[in-house]
Order: sequence, then C-alpha cells, then structure tokens
Amino acid sequence: MTFWSKLAGAVAIAAAVSLTPQILTPYAYAAQPGTLVTGDNLPANLDPHQIFDVPMQLYSLNEYDNLYRYEGNPPELKPWLAESYTVSPDGLTYEFKLRHGAKFHDGSEITADDVVYSFKRVLALGKGPSGAFKPVLKPDNVTAPDKYTVKFVLDHAYAPFLSAVPIVMVVNQKILKAHEKNNDWGAAWLGSNGAGSGAYILDASTYRPLERVDLKQNPAHFKGWSDNPQAPKEVQIIPTRETSTRVLALLKGSVDMTDSYLPTDQVERIQKAKGVHIEKHTSMRVFVLRMNNTKPPLDNINMRKCLAHAFNYDGFITEILKGYDYDLKKAKAFCDKAKAEGAPTTRPIEIHIQSQLEQTNQAAQLLQSDLSQIGINLKIVSDTWANITTNTAKADTTPDMWVHWVSTYFVDPENWVGQMYDSQFHGTWKASSWYKNPKVDELLRKARSVTDQKERQPLYEEATRLIVADSPDIWVYNTVELRGVTDRVKDFRFSPVGSGGEMRWIKLAN
Amino acid sequence: MLRFILRRVLLAIPSLFGLLVLTFFLVRVVPADPATALAGENATPAQIAAIRHEYGFDQPLYKQFVVYLGQVARFDFGESAYSRRPVSLDIKQRLPATLELTITSLLLGTFLGIPLGTIAAVYHNRWPDITLRILSVAGVAIAAFWFAIELQLLFSMELDWLPLRGRLSSSMDAPPLVTGFMLIDSLLAGRWDAFTDTLHHLILPAMTLSLGGLATIARFTRAGVLETLQRDFVTYARAQGVPSRVLIWKYVLKNSIVAALTQIGLLFGGLIAGAVVVETIFDWPGIGFYTVQAILTADYKVILGVTVVIGVIYAAVNILVDLIHGLVDPRLREQL
Repeated sequence: MTFWSKLAGAVAIAAAVSLTPQILTPYAYAAQPGTLVTGDNLPANLDPHQIFDVPMQLYSLNEYDNLYRYEGNPPELKPWLAESYTVSPDGLTYEFKLRHGAKFHDGSEITADDVVYSFKRVLALGKGPSGAFKPVLKPDNVTAPDKYTVKFVLDHAYAPFLSAVPIVMVVNQKILKAHEKNNDWGAAWLGSNGAGSGAYILDASTYRPLERVDLKQNPAHFKGWSDNPQAPKEVQIIPTRETSTRVLALLKGSVDMTDSYLPTDQVERIQKAKGVHIEKHTSMRVFVLRMNNTKPPLDNINMRKCLAHAFNYDGFITEILKGYDYDLKKAKAFCDKAKAEGAPTTRPIEIHIQSQLEQTNQAAQLLQSDLSQIGINLKIVSDTWANITTNTAKADTTPDMWVHWVSTYFVDPENWVGQMYDSQFHGTWKASSWYKNPKVDELLRKARSVTDQKERQPLYEEATRLIVADSPDIWVYNTVELRGVTDRVKDFRFSPVGSGGEMRWIKLAN
Repeated sequence: MLRFILRRVLLAIPSLFGLLVLTFFLVRVVPADPATALAGENATPAQIAAIRHEYGFDQPLYKQFVVYLGQVARFDFGESAYSRRPVSLDIKQRLPATLELTITSLLLGTFLGIPLGTIAAVYHNRWPDITLRILSVAGVAIAAFWFAIELQLLFSMELDWLPLRGRLSSSMDAPPLVTGFMLIDSLLAGRWDAFTDTLHHLILPAMTLSLGGLATIARFTRAGVLETLQRDFVTYARAQGVPSRVLIWKYVLKNSIVAALTQIGLLFGGLIAGAVVVETIFDWPGIGFYTVQAILTADYKVILGVTVVIGVIYAAVNILVDLIHGLVDPRLREQL
C-alpha cells in the first residue's frame, strides 16, 4: 500500500470510529439548566449609541441600564438608574436624581458624569439614537451639578423629551476613554465589547458579529435577584437564519425562543407540538404601505383613497389599525374620480418591497391582484432596506410606494404621527410619503412644545383626523408579535419597547 | 513547472484587477450606501450627510476607487460600516468555516463521483448506469434548500443521529484557534470530543452541498471512461490478458479523468456560491451568510473584500487543478 492509500484508510477508520457511538446513542439535545438560548436576531454591532433598532434592544436592555425604562404592555415609564426627575414650569430644564450605589460591571459606581458622558457621546456620534435629541439638546447643556444629579437644558420646549430618555443607555466613561482612538469616542472598540452595568454581562471573548453573544448574570446588579431567583444564569443569543431551522430547533429544544416574525403555518406547527407554545402579544409596531404624495397620480387624493380601499385588510391580517375598509367598488369610484380630474391613473405604479421580509411581498401581491381588477397596474420591485432609505432622501428618487414597519422606540405620538407627517422631517425615511399639510404641521409643532399631556392629546387627535382624510399612506395593521418558546420559559414579560427582550424577568424551569 | 506556475499567477493578476474594478463600480453605481441606515430612525438629512462625509461616500467615485485600490494593495480591506471591525478580521474568522465545508463537499463529491461514474461506464446501459443517470439528473435538479430540510427532518428530528444546526454544540468550548479549520484545530489541541462534535455537525451540510458536484463529477467521469474504453490500447490490454479490475481502475481511469478534474476546479466556485444557501439553513458560521447580510445593507467594503478573497482562492484552485492534470497525465506535463 502506498502512503496515500494508508492515509485514506486511516481517515476512513477515524470517521467510522467517531460516528459509531453517535449512531448507537441518539443525538439527544439536553437543555442546560440555567442557560437560556434564544434564536432571535442580533444587531450589526454592540454599541447602543451607534445602532438603534429592535435587535439592539434585545442586547442593550440586558447589558446596559438607562435612567428610566419602559416596562409592561402598554409600556409604562419606570425609574431605573434615576430615582426621580423634576421639570421646570417652562418645560426647558430637566433634573434627574440618580440612585446611590449602582455599579458598573467593573465595580465602579455609576455617577452623573457617566450619564453626561453617555448623552454627549450619543450626540457626538450622531447615529441612530441621536435623532430624538439633536434638534433640542446641545452637548454643553447636559451637565452634572453634583455626583448624583444630571441636568438637561433644552433649546426649546419639547414634550416628547422624557419619553425619549430611555433610548440612551449609560456607558462606563472610564473604560471607554481608555479605548478611544482618533477621537472616535471608543466607537470601534464598543462595537465588539461591553461597558455597561446591566443585569447581564457580555462575554466579549466569544462574541461573533451577527452570530453569537454570550451573557452571564450580573450578581451585583442594583435591582438584585431576590425577586426572581429562577432568572437565567446565562443567556446565549445565537440567531437562526432560516425560518424552518428556527422552528425545528425550538421543537428539538436546542433554542428556547424564536423571533417574532413567524409565518402562520409555522405558528400552527408550534401550537400543535408538545413542550413548546406561542407567546402572543399585541405590539405597537405599525405596518405601512407608503405612497409618494408628490408623484402623479399619487398626488391626487382620490387616487390615494382608491388604493387605500383596494387593500384587503381582513384578508391580510387579523387586527386593523383604523381608517379605511376594503371595498373594491368604493375604490373604483375613487379611481374613476381621480381619472376624471386628469390623474394619469393608467401609469404603472411601482411598489418597492424588502426582499428578505416575505410579509412585505405578500402585502404587495395582495394589493396587486385587487388593483388589477379595477384596471390599475401595480409593479412589484424587489429592493433592500439600505437602498430604499437612501432613495427616500429626495422626493424624486422616492419610489411610488414602499412597504415597511414603524417600531416603538419611545412611547409618544411623536414616534409615529409626529415624525411621519410633519413636513419638517422631509428627507428622513419616516416622513417619506412627502406629505404636506400646513394645518397638520402647525398642530404637530404645537403638540410637541406643549408639556401638559392633557393639552397635547386633542392636538394629536385633530392632526390624525386631518391626515386620515388626506389618505397619504395605507395603514395596514398594528403587529401582533407571535413568538415560539419552550415550556421551561415561564413569565415571559413582553413590552412593545424592546419586544420582550429583557431577560431578567424570565423564570427558567429546569 | 516553475515557469508554468509563474505564468499562471501573472495571468491571474489582470483578471483579479478586472474583478475588482467591476465589483467596485457595480456595487457603488447603486445609490444605496449605509449612511441612512446608520443614521437610524429619526435622522435629519444633515445628520446623514455628516455620516456620508465621515465614511468618504461624498467623494467622487474614481477617488474612492483609487483610495480603495491603495488599501487593497496593502491587504487592507477597510472597516465594515456596521460592525466597525476590520473586514480582514471578519473574513479571517469566517472563511475557514466556509472552506472547511466546501473542501469536505468537494472531497465527498470527488471520491464518490469518480468511482460511481466509472462503474456506470463499465456497466454501460445496464441497471447501475441507468440508476446513476437518474440520480445524477436529480442531483443537479434538486433544490439544495429542499434537500437540506429533508435531511434535517430525517437525520436530526426523526432519527436524532445528527445535530440540526451550527458548527459546534453550544455547550462545548471551541478548541484554541490555530488554522480556523475546526477539525484540524481540535486534533491539534488533542480534543477528540470537539473533533467528533464538529464532524457530526459537518455531515448534513456537506452532504447537501456536495450533491450537485457529485452528480457533475460522476457524469463527466462516465463520459471520459466510456470514450477511453473504445480506444485501441484497451482492446490490446484485454487481449494481453490484463485483469479487468487493473485495466479499468488503473489505465482507463487515468486516461479519462482530465475532463472531470477540470470540472472540479470550476465546481469550486459554484460550491462557494452554493454555500450561501447551505450556510443559511444550517446556521453554518461561514462567509456566505455574512456576505448576504452585507449585500442587503450595502456594506460595500465587506462585499468587495469577500469578492477579492474568493477570487484569489478561485484562481489558486484552478492553477492547482492544472498542476494535478500534469501529475495525472504525463502528456500534459510537457506543456507545463
């Protein structure tokens, strides 16, 4: 025998030997006591001041603490690192009193300086979470009068400020300063590391972007653990990419939780299986089909109403937000009216979908089939989030229509109606229907500057009425989040902010 | 021989440069860039412009290209706009996983495909040949994602023999990183448990990925062997009383395998592309899923970095295949 055939033989024997015990004893997966594995998605990096999306909340609500925190459904603002706050009568000055003795993971105490640093860092980086603060807050106006007081002076009264405070996670100033490079505020470093104080501690050595995050319980967390001794000792976030694998892994018990975008057939499959169940929670994530209100024929109100009535809301999903009903006759009447007014209704209308999110495609196909019955030609264009958001910066590059969700980042009408329909936000993707109604602008701006919630409410209601009458978009539904979990996960606590990503409340049965 | 290698490497440089130009402008001609996505939910146009400036997206395209070219020449692929990590680090961490998977699939396809193709040719138009023909058409036609899910259902869910997803059980510590090839690293560390665990995780994805290649290699081998069997030297050898087994497996196969070998080189590119699907279904932590994510988010430094690295590997594999040609067939050696 030659060397090579000997080697081949050796490899074959090694393979056979290594496989044999496996075939004799089943590859049964035993869930590890105290370890919770979730297959939900990870953010693009781990810096909560750079990335601001739903996957980030799954990580940041565990690794970090904020001054106030949303809990429950409907979400309520609860004191967290701050014990209380005061606001001046003119609505310009906010003071937060920090709790004493709360510690970062490295053992140092969290002081007002760290909070000031965190807000300044958010403003300086100018990424995701900064949008809510940039228009009203200058970095120099965040100060620490003493070790446990943080003071904010706003440029002008801005009612949603308090609701937006939980967006900013408090980071450890000392650690970040040690990792700064070229004045980057430690941005490159924090993308792969942790500098928090939260209920769980990141193990940076096993971190793989978009693939794996390991978190260990923080025994010294300021909240303590006496209220929940059964909380997971370890949390592994290992995203599953393919829906089918995701559900199989849940049924097998190798993950304890899936994401919340499961299609109906998989939900039914989980409901029928043993040892797993569906956590169903009403969220505040709104599904919208946008229309570019500046492009003919969509600049015609009757054309827009025609499209709004042509969408089969009931056929698409259970819960409808409000506004329009599915009525093809009504739709046709509006389309005819638009045509009579000279709108080019026969021009093919392009709707851009997000190719990796099947629901956006399904919604577009449903609308397409109904519209074809009344003679409107809808073309579906596959697109990506990055491409769409780049194109929506200008009215003439914004597609005729496109499909997306608006999630909950802070609980204030500003998160939805304010940022979607005030024309001062034109150029941002949230305001990408290019809707402009001076009366609505006035109402929304007033609502933003009045600090009394009772006074704000009627302003938003009036603005919403006007917007619905103008039919700038097609509002489809308020998302119901359906998540598969194993039966050993008890007390799953859901809040629309963070989509139930806070792990400290979960009781893990062994 | 050395001259041959040198010539092939020099020839590869312009094609790699062409690849770089093409990819750069294709990726950048699309108006998307990561600035808007990075700016997040409530960003103002000014904020987006600031981020665009920070990353140099506001520079003319040709200037961006020159800067990029300079970086690539120094093997620096820049930083991912999202993960903020050097692209070369991300590639270094993920590429070995993809190579481990593709090489295993290629070996599986080669070492099963060549004997199967030979047997089919020897039993020309009899049942082994017909069976193989049906299987190889199916092998090319079957969608990888469907086959993968069927394998998962059978071997992982029903029989419980093999793991469903991943590269290593989540409860097991990874062996120290040396080559990035988990099988090799675990052997180097003397971690038999990690070795077998990795091997189990490798079986289903490798089976899925090898399917199309196996069918192609088998068909090309069959065609080559059939042709060689008609040649005079075979008739002569038979007349001389050379045992059939020796004749087929030693002389005929050696004379017929060149076409199949060429296919192996070409298949390698297809396997890396196919790895995207397989890696997604089996959560295999390779370069495929990482690249798809980069395409969806217009993270163009990642797209370019991966394209260049895979281009280099593809060129290298094909040079290697040409060298193997020479080893197998002395007549080709003279041309080297």
